Amino acid sequence: MGLPIPAILEIGRSINFHPVRGAPEIIDGLINLRGKVVTIINTGLAFEAEKVKSTDESRVYILKNNTELREVADADFDIETSPDNIGIHVDRIADVISVENEDLQTVPANINHPFYKHVVRRGEEFIIILEPQKMLNLNEHQELLS
Amino acid sequence: MSDTQDIKFNIYNPVITYEHRAAFDLIVSHLQEIFPICNQGKCKALEVSDDPQKQKQINDLMEKVEFFSNSLITITKVFFDQLYRAKQTSSQSISQSTAMIKIDMIERNLLERTCDVRWWALEKAFWQCIILADENPEEVARISKTASRKATKSSSVNSELKNAVQLACTRLEDIRNSYTLYRDLVIVTLDGTVIANSNEERRSTVLGMNVSEEEWFKKALQTKDGTEYFVQDISRSKLEDVESLIYSTALRAGGDEQGEVIGAMGVLFDFQGESQIILNDYLPGDNDSATLDGWFSFFTNDQGRVICSSDEYFIPSGKAADIPRRHWKLDNPGDVLVSTAIVCGNRSLVVSHKSEGFDEYRGLGWTSHLVLPESAMFERSEENEDYGISPQELMNSRLIPDTNKQTYQEIQRNKGDIQLISINGIILATDLGKAGTSFIPIFDQITTTGNSTTGKMEELLSEMSSDMLQQNLKALENFSKQAIDLIDRNLFERAADVRWWSTDHAFWEALQNNKDENFEEASKRLGIINASYTMYRDLVIADSNGRIVANSKSENRDKLKRMNVSEQSWFRQGMQISRSVQFGVQDVCNSDLENEETSLIYCGGILEDGQREGKVLGVLGIFFDWENLAGPILEGCLPRIKNEVVEGGAAFYMNGEREIIASTDSDHFAIGQEVNIPIENLKLEDGESASGIFTDKGRKFIIGSSKTQGYREYTGLGWTAHVVRPID
Repeated sequence: MGLPIPAILEIGRSINFHPVRGAPEIIDGLINLRGKVVTIINTGLAFEAEKVKSTDESRVYILKNNTELREVADADFDIETSPDNIGIHVDRIADVISVENEDLQTVPANINHPFYKHVVRRGEEFIIILEPQKMLNLNEHQELLS
Repeated sequence: MSDTQDIKFNIYNPVITYEHRAAFDLIVSHLQEIFPICNQGKCKALEVSDDPQKQKQINDLMEKVEFFSNSLITITKVFFDQLYRAKQTSSQSISQSTAMIKIDMIERNLLERTCDVRWWALEKAFWQCIILADENPEEVARISKTASRKATKSSSVNSELKNAVQLACTRLEDIRNSYTLYRDLVIVTLDGTVIANSNEERRSTVLGMNVSEEEWFKKALQTKDGTEYFVQDISRSKLEDVESLIYSTALRAGGDEQGEVIGAMGVLFDFQGESQIILNDYLPGDNDSATLDGWFSFFTNDQGRVICSSDEYFIPSGKAADIPRRHWKLDNPGDVLVSTAIVCGNRSLVVSHKSEGFDEYRGLGWTSHLVLPESAMFERSEENEDYGISPQELMNSRLIPDTNKQTYQEIQRNKGDIQLISINGIILATDLGKAGTSFIPIFDQITTTGNSTTGKMEELLSEMSSDMLQQNLKALENFSKQAIDLIDRNLFERAADVRWWSTDHAFWEALQNNKDENFEEASKRLGIINASYTMYRDLVIADSNGRIVANSKSENRDKLKRMNVSEQSWFRQGMQISRSVQFGVQDVCNSDLENEETSLIYCGGILEDGQREGKVLGVLGIFFDWENLAGPILEGCLPRIKNEVVEGGAAFYMNGEREIIASTDSDHFAIGQEVNIPIENLKLEDGESASGIFTDKGRKFIIGSSKTQGYREYTGLGWTAHVVRPID
């Protein structure tokens, strides 16, 4: 699975979450990113049977907020995130790949997952490109995440 | 991470292999290439963006990359040091245990010898011969002359004395035939004249010889009672042309342990032959099974002089060895000394271990030395068998020292950090739009270099861990070989015992006369034997019908007398015997003769008139207390780290049916149990060893196994010894 690079602010190790009492189960906690408070959500249950665990390999993607997104130079894309900086906790990161716009195909209709936006073919493999805006909209798809 | 100052094996050390130097060069040069790339990145940042915050962010990233490159360069230097240290430590500990195994092996053998001489000195034929000689001193001189012409019947020598001498010689020959470890055995009168010996070839030279000046003789006469003996360390004796190791004790009137001293008995142990077997063991050989150059094994006595050597050309006996002076003789029992030095032109590892003795037996203060070329410690093992264990699993196993594990983790972490920096760099570059694209190749290069260098290090670490696995497997093989060799040697002794005892006159007389008082006499004699040797539960005599007619322990007598053993394997084997050099053995089983789960019974044929060859009258059966012997031997063969047994380490013997017959760990490897060990470790040829990995009750073990190769006339019972240690 992949996320468009411009949506990402930075990637860090998944450590030092401050747990929040009473928060939904999908919230791993809060982190302090150079003074900003960032909520970390655990996407494990949305795609797999269990939540992502903190290991040597697990990482946190901090996504830009909508304002930061608009500051990206020479932007030729159509992405929305959310009004706040939100982080997502993932098992591991693999690689950076570059994809031409025409290679982004729509997800087949029978794969009906609200977070999936595009699918890209890489040799024998298919990579799903996620839609950050949907993932980060906690109010709308909470049932999927927990 | 240890300081670079403490590096023992830096890359310029001659022991570092060519491949490792090449790997070091590759890693370091790749890491050095990162610095100009980072510099280029910093320049680019100024070029493409006017935003000071963006510039700083890129600058920070580049500095982080530089930091991790530097850290990886440091790790690389320490890394090879750790790699070589780990190999050195593990080779040293293996060499140490090999040196120890060798001295143990010979010392245990010598301990058995001390029992022998004391027991034999009680033999009637010997003291009777001395008494007759004392009564006819003028005849003694003539005995030796007639001995050289042994067929001369017309001799004027007092025929009673002549017969007594002949009988004594015959009995000494019987001993030598039963215990093949002796070159000769002699009976000496009080004035020092040899009047009987066992070795017919030497008889004309030895008989009549006066040994009154020799220490072993003088000391034998000074022994206080029958429980004392003397051993003369390797030295020259008139009795032989080679250096001798002589055990001696006094002969006493009436064969009474407290009796008056009337003469002496000396037994000449074949030390050289025995040592050669032990010294040549555990030395690697080439295709023609000649020992590889630079490997030596030898013993020195308490004067630091070589007494036996695996290579008489380079390390000759009788001289001080060409090793560091402080190795010549060690001060205290159990001392170990390890050095690196030039030995016979090779840079070598020298390991010395001084004997500890056993229980009350203190030994002769000998030291065992093992010399091997230093390069052998760091050689890559050629075998690269697939044991079905992943490099990752191996790296995390207990075989790998903690420092190496930490380095592995540090490399992993650095690798992750470099990847993170690169990706974050690419994210930053993307934010700069088109201007940022020129950063992409820079970060790509950083990722590639990071991956290739850490990958190379992982490769080296996995190479090291597979070497460690090989070394550990080899060590377990050695331990298992030691375990089976020790038991073989011990069982050989039992075979020697039973053969000799079967010739005792009390036994054949009892069976021939078939009278109660003779059987009682036989039982008494068995009792004396059992009291002198601690390793038997009971000794019994069965007549030709399988009825038990005498035994050593009076408390068992009533029970045994009602039993018939004609269907039992040991008895049937015994009844097939027609020569006194033969013996039989019934493998470990549950026997109704004693209330023990594991009986091991040796048998010898009692032959008519005590002849060496003839009709069998009945069978002598000896019940060996084998668990009490096997236990300590197995304990001594357990894998150890710094003298502590490795957690979960165990050793056990299996019989030909692949059932455990003795074990150090009755919880996990219990007697009677079958264990799911690799098939290669069970299907061994005699004398062969193997190793492997197996899983038992969810735990992963490495295992070394050896099959019996027998020892001298004892051919073994198809047993295998196994030594295991868990690795997870």
